[in-house]
Amino acid sequence: MKNKRFNLFLIAIVTLVAFWSLWPTWSDYSLSKQLDSFASPQDSLKFAFTHREEIENARKKSLKLGLDLKGGMHLVMEVDQVDLFEQKAWNKDGKFTAIMQSVRTKASKSDAKIIDLLSAEFKAENIPLSRYFYDIRNSDQEIVSKLEKESEEALTRAKEIIRNRIDQYGVAEPVITTQGSRKIIIELPGVSDNRVKNLLKGTAKLEFRLLREPEVMVRALDRINSYLVQGNQNRATVPGASVTDSSSAAPAQLPLGAIPAATVSTQPSAKPLYDVIGVFQNGNAFTTEQSKDYVVSLLRRPDIQALLPQDSELLLAAKPDIGKNGEKLYSVFLVKKGPELTGGVITEAKATFGAQGVQPEVLMSMNSEGTSKWARITGANIGKRIAIVLDGAVYSAPVVQSKIPSGNSVINGIGSLEEAKDLEIVLKAGALPAPVRIIEERTVGPSLGADYIRAGMQSVIWGFVAVAIFMVVYYRKAGIAADVAVVLNILIVFSVLAGFNASLSLPGIAGIVLTMGMAVDANVLIYERIREELAEGKSVLSAVTQGYDRAFSSILDSHVTTLSAAFLLYTYGIGPIQGFAVTLLIGTSASLFTAIVVTREIFHLLLAKNLMSDKSFG
Amino acid sequence: MRIFQNTNFNFIRYRKIAYGFSLILLLVGMASLVIKGLNYGIDFRGGSEVVIRFEKNADVGQVRSVLNAAGVSGTLKQYGLDRSFLFSTVFQGDTGQLKSLISNALNDRIKGNAHEIVRIDAVGPSIASDLKWSALKALVAALVAILIYVGIRFEPKFAAAGVIAILHDVLTVLGLFSILGGLFAFMPLEMDQSIIAAFLTIAGYSITDTVVVYDRIRERIRGQKPSEYERIFNESMNQTMSRTIITSGTTLLSVLVLFIFAGPAIRGFAFAVFAGILIGTYSSIFVAAPLVYDWLRLTKSSVRLRGSKVS
Repeated sequence: MKNKRFNLFLIAIVTLVAFWSLWPTWSDYSLSKQLDSFASPQDSLKFAFTHREEIENARKKSLKLGLDLKGGMHLVMEVDQVDLFEQKAWNKDGKFTAIMQSVRTKASKSDAKIIDLLSAEFKAENIPLSRYFYDIRNSDQEIVSKLEKESEEALTRAKEIIRNRIDQYGVAEPVITTQGSRKIIIELPGVSDNRVKNLLKGTAKLEFRLLREPEVMVRALDRINSYLVQGNQNRATVPGASVTDSSSAAPAQLPLGAIPAATVSTQPSAKPLYDVIGVFQNGNAFTTEQSKDYVVSLLRRPDIQALLPQDSELLLAAKPDIGKNGEKLYSVFLVKKGPELTGGVITEAKATFGAQGVQPEVLMSMNSEGTSKWARITGANIGKRIAIVLDGAVYSAPVVQSKIPSGNSVINGIGSLEEAKDLEIVLKAGALPAPVRIIEERTVGPSLGADYIRAGMQSVIWGFVAVAIFMVVYYRKAGIAADVAVVLNILIVFSVLAGFNASLSLPGIAGIVLTMGMAVDANVLIYERIREELAEGKSVLSAVTQGYDRAFSSILDSHVTTLSAAFLLYTYGIGPIQGFAVTLLIGTSASLFTAIVVTREIFHLLLAKNLMSDKSFG
Repeated sequence: MRIFQNTNFNFIRYRKIAYGFSLILLLVGMASLVIKGLNYGIDFRGGSEVVIRFEKNADVGQVRSVLNAAGVSGTLKQYGLDRSFLFSTVFQGDTGQLKSLISNALNDRIKGNAHEIVRIDAVGPSIASDLKWSALKALVAALVAILIYVGIRFEPKFAAAGVIAILHDVLTVLGLFSILGGLFAFMPLEMDQSIIAAFLTIAGYSITDTVVVYDRIRERIRGQKPSEYERIFNESMNQTMSRTIITSGTTLLSVLVLFIFAGPAIRGFAFAVFAGILIGTYSSIFVAAPLVYDWLRLTKSSVRLRGSKVS
């Protein structure tokens, strides 16, 4: 008798806790309904103001919806550790570049740690890591552990900077976590446009670089041109090979088929470079929008880079200028390789409109170290041009008029105020230690999310109706007890999700629907057993007792196997699959309680009131 | 209401027919896997997918030709049943560019029928290989866990036969995916993450029915002579047949609801679980228990079972 009381007490407690945990979800729902019901926006604003605390509380504790139901963006970004290690290396030569290239190819296809790939590659070539990294006296092992530490730090720093950028932009409840040695997972609820994504992509490496004199650039361009002419002639003497050049030079990494018009001709041109790069009278060079990708790929070639003056490189403008006929022209700049000053000295950035009030620009101020350096640099280069380079693209290249002692600087040549604001954000948040790449993206628009919610609700309702009706038809009164248990089971699943701040996703809903079908399995096993006992002529009371006792071992076994499968799914699965595994785990565990304890108590109550007969099990 | 009450099938005598049937099922599936292969989704092969939904009905051919004309290369298929199309192409880190290309092309060329890009998925090659590995690991771990658990609760022969039955179920469903993959517009049956979830669900659930049969055998076999095994196996299977089928039936009901109502994203999963439960129910009666029987018969051993407490 005592034991029975305890069970009843337990059921009451569980039910109460479930309702208590789901209460904020209900009040959140009804409050937002109320907010929507007001006729004028003023009224709803007033209501929101007076009930602010209540609304916030409810929202915080209510059942969260997953990105797929709410709409939002799930991104997995990878920190380019190969690039990071390249930065750390010194006296790089051709061999080093080749090895790193091979590491990069391998890394793109597997999830192995880059540092392992790297050390394996060097070992295979029989080159000690100390030739390129740190101190010559370091052993490979020391270097590996140092580089490993470096990459860990880079990952945490990258995460922090990305968090800064997202916070500055303003996204409600972003979730940013790291996974493994090089991945950052970013969840942005309610975001489905590309602006935030663009904010995340850039390294935000700001550099101030000296421009070479125009005549130096013109001479370099001439050299490249004659080199290309030579290449074409050489190739023309090899029959059948001439076709490959221009087609392979077309940017292969662009699958969208934007082949620049200037490169399609298979005829070797007399001045191949000047087909894609034009030079003005004043020595400024430019390329057209169509040829831009080709020029970029050309400038990446090591044999072309070797033709440039030492310690120099050619960069393109970030934004096009509009030519006479409305065509978009990108300026080409020859700049010194080493930056005079980098973005690390920037303390403040502000997007505004320029002097004429039309051109958006970003004002920057520097710390004291940067200020004194900037004063020295500008003082020493009066009359020369300094390019302001962000992530390898030149924003502007103003002529230094006078020494700047204030540590102020400005980026102009920005397309829109929105873009200026984005620049402000990335400059304030700081530069990433290494480039990051998006390697997975899942974006669900809000309208599809609403569809998913509707589909999920329908599945839950129809799933319940189907199972409930079946149980009642097949088992009569006992079926009703099982249905009550299923309702409590679903309540428990939702309340555990709400209570532990987990979110509900569409796969999660699928898990709940599946749980309903599986939860009654325990009841089926028990009821079938009871039927057997009744058929043997036992009394209802002893049949019920025996039924529960004897069915227990097979219920336990079958639940343990389902639970272990769900648990492994949770452990190895990612994202959406985990949502499914979680609801299946909660639902199956809860069904051990609801299907066994709850139904048994119901039968005991009914038996005590003489409401059960051997017909009650159908 | 009662179904399958007091049946008296001689499962053990006809087990060879069942073995033959299972073998054919498996062989056809494997043959299709080798010849036709599987229809991998972007989760496993990497790539980008865009779901475009139109306001009014649109013609697949027209949309396809507009996208091709705009230089967006990829394949376009009907998606679900509600004026949606699924466009898939190679992986691009920058889906923004892809999105604007598609949007511009459709806005320019298909007037008076607004579209919306409702979903974008892009999976890079390293993620795809990751997923493949963790899927395999999870499945193997699940099989090992079940083998150990059933081995402890019953005995190793029972456990091994149960795991063989699970493998049978999973491989049959895999074969079914290969055979039916891409045949139906409303369910492309692509291998993606959700199918891995389906396989693990099948693995966990297929053993459920088997355990119910085992449990009854365990209860009745204690102290019996091996010559009685055939009778005991048959009777146990007949006695538990009703519950084996009803438990599967309720779960099938809820999976059917998922298939119908939960939308295209869940449909492949629901199909896999549905097929898996059907085959799992069949295999627990026709494969797992008969295998144990044959094993006991061939090794001429008697059963020493743990955990059978008969009050």
